[in-house]
Amino acid sequence: MKLSPLSVPYRVAQKAGSLLFSLVILLFTGATGLVEAFGASGLLLALGGLVALGVALVGYEVAYYQRYEYELTADTFDIRSGVFSRRTREIPLARIQNVDIRRNVVQRFLDIAAVDFETAGGSETEAAIRFVSFSEAKRLQRDIGRRKRGDADDDESATDETDLLFALSDRELALVGLLSFDLRVPGLVAFLASSSVPILSSAIPSLSGLTVLAVGGLLLAAAVLLFSWVVGITVAVLNYYGFRLSQTTDELRYERGLVQRYDGSIPFEKVQTLTVEDNPLKRRFGYATLVIETAGYAPGQGGSYGSEAAVPLARVDRVLGLARDIDAFGEFDFERPPKRIRRRYVGRYLIALGVILVALYSVNYALGGSYPWYAPAIVLPLLPIAAHYKWKHRGYWLDDRHIVTRNGFWTRQTRVVPYHRIQTVIDTQTIFQRRWRVATVTVDTAGSRSLAARDAAAVDIDRDEAKRLRATLETRLQEALVARRREAARDDASGPSAGSLDVAGGDADATDTDATDAESSDSSDSSEPSPTPPESAASNGSECTDDSRHSDDSDVDSTDDPMDEDVADERSPDRGNGPDSV
Amino acid sequence: MMRLHPRVRLLWSLRAVGSALVVGLLLGVLDFFVLEQGLWIPVAGFLVVCLLGVAVAVLRYRYWRYEVRDDSLYLERGVFTRVRTVVPFVRIQHVDSSRSPVERIAGLATTVVYTAGSRGADVTIPGLSASGSDDLQERIKRLAIRAEGDDAV
Repeated sequence: MKLSPLSVPYRVAQKAGSLLFSLVILLFTGATGLVEAFGASGLLLALGGLVALGVALVGYEVAYYQRYEYELTADTFDIRSGVFSRRTREIPLARIQNVDIRRNVVQRFLDIAAVDFETAGGSETEAAIRFVSFSEAKRLQRDIGRRKRGDADDDESATDETDLLFALSDRELALVGLLSFDLRVPGLVAFLASSSVPILSSAIPSLSGLTVLAVGGLLLAAAVLLFSWVVGITVAVLNYYGFRLSQTTDELRYERGLVQRYDGSIPFEKVQTLTVEDNPLKRRFGYATLVIETAGYAPGQGGSYGSEAAVPLARVDRVLGLARDIDAFGEFDFERPPKRIRRRYVGRYLIALGVILVALYSVNYALGGSYPWYAPAIVLPLLPIAAHYKWKHRGYWLDDRHIVTRNGFWTRQTRVVPYHRIQTVIDTQTIFQRRWRVATVTVDTAGSRSLAARDAAAVDIDRDEAKRLRATLETRLQEALVARRREAARDDASGPSAGSLDVAGGDADATDTDATDAESSDSSDSSEPSPTPPESAASNGSECTDDSRHSDDSDVDSTDDPMDEDVADERSPDRGNGPDSV
Repeated sequence: MMRLHPRVRLLWSLRAVGSALVVGLLLGVLDFFVLEQGLWIPVAGFLVVCLLGVAVAVLRYRYWRYEVRDDSLYLERGVFTRVRTVVPFVRIQHVDSSRSPVERIAGLATTVVYTAGSRGADVTIPGLSASGSDDLQERIKRLAIRAEGDDAV
């Protein structure tokens, strides 16, 4: 298959646009020089150069179009491309995470679209098809989903009906806008403004510098707040206009965007984690945000507005219902960190406040003013409340198939991680945590959004509990994988759809059981194996593990740990002793 | 539980001395051009960083433990922040064994285990003897193959 012929003029225009700027500068500087040197013929020379460049550009793009071929085979997606250096790339369909279609206004007018295929590997999009017709893009998206499922070939009659899961109403869109507050903007503005304050203060010499600073600061803060709010609203509306989330047998589809339309598919089997997010405002009015994370790189990762596959805002029950449609988990019942940890949070806030006060005091002192630098101290009574909420919002909860963690005093995030998605389990203890005998257990997944270090983590739980949790998670991961493999094997034995994509097929069915609750589709046999994993998990991993191997391990740990503790206690005050004692 | 090769202390200490030298040099330049307080500042800086670095290196060796279990790799390390990591074999993408020039001189090697995780995606076991590192790599590789995860994602 070839690209859309319209992609040639579009790409030429795109490239020319970026070239034009440099050309204009070149013409202004270069042409005058040429005219001076060669007279009128210099102008011709310059024009000639421009034309040659244009021809070269068009020629290149035509050649690119000629060379670019892609093909959807039974189990791979092949691309052959390249004008100067040729490249052939085959992507196994089972490895494709999501397929994203993007169109801006011009592209919509020309009826062309950019298609991106994401896989879990690498730091960039695996295949970026620059411009096929929109209908072709949709066909690719549909057929890739279908072939992954192992359906033979594409009769148009084959079921591709989509159930609408969620559509953002105008009211909700307005709310998204109102509740959006792009925090990055104030930071940027504050940074830019901080350099202009001295100039302002020198412009108004009659007042003392500090007054100008205070008043100007307040005005500036208000302006920044307003500005970032407006930016937030604009971004939200641009991003989420016409948001729709729908599901097919084994994929989620979303559409959104006002100027740039996004249209993507997420296979259920590739969903890594689900995150429910809210902040005090949203909590107050009973709204929440749902983020669906896959291992593929988020399409607009470069400064994009959060994950693309997010339900921006909906009532909490709706969000939870939707999340349970995608991956069935039970009612949350969080295990909180020990209460003593609240004192630690108060201490931490106190230190932060102290640092602020000291900074303000020294500024005040340096400027020789007598301003109430101690003003921020009025938040002092609020600190215990904040600490309490921080504690209250923390927690983790294990159900038959998932670990759920919750964190955040302001923006509260509840993350749902299925056991079979766990990559590694990391248990950390900082010096301070050791003093409080607590630890943090982090569950790492192959998700893409975690660059902001927001993995699912049970923070500040008791040390022994952390050790138990680590062991439990490890066994449950193995059990979940065994259960899934068994399911896949059973499906293979029963289903005739065997092919080279068994594994993916099995996966899809396994996750289908979650989806079938909602739509009870063709995979009726898979509703049978679904009770197995909960049973096996419940029977043998109730709290700690009875498994002999693991109890061995924890024995080793428990004998090791007190020793380490002693050593640490002895050593830490006087590290100089270290070398000779070994 | 396995421990690292004792010689790794030497390696880490050397590294600490290296960074202490850099600190000393910087302090020396600062002292020479700005502070003009005499030679004791860079020397003291060098000694302090050196001592701290060596102490941390020794402590780090003391706390470093790893174990190849039946179905996972378990690591325990950290002087200030104690970190325990469990890497199930099903999740391993590939295993590297690397030897930097300094490590080659010391006769040591490092094994790096990669997973698809977004954090701690690569788990590093430093301070193994060259043959030990190769063995470990081979062993983990075999265990990872045996564990046959479907996608490791």
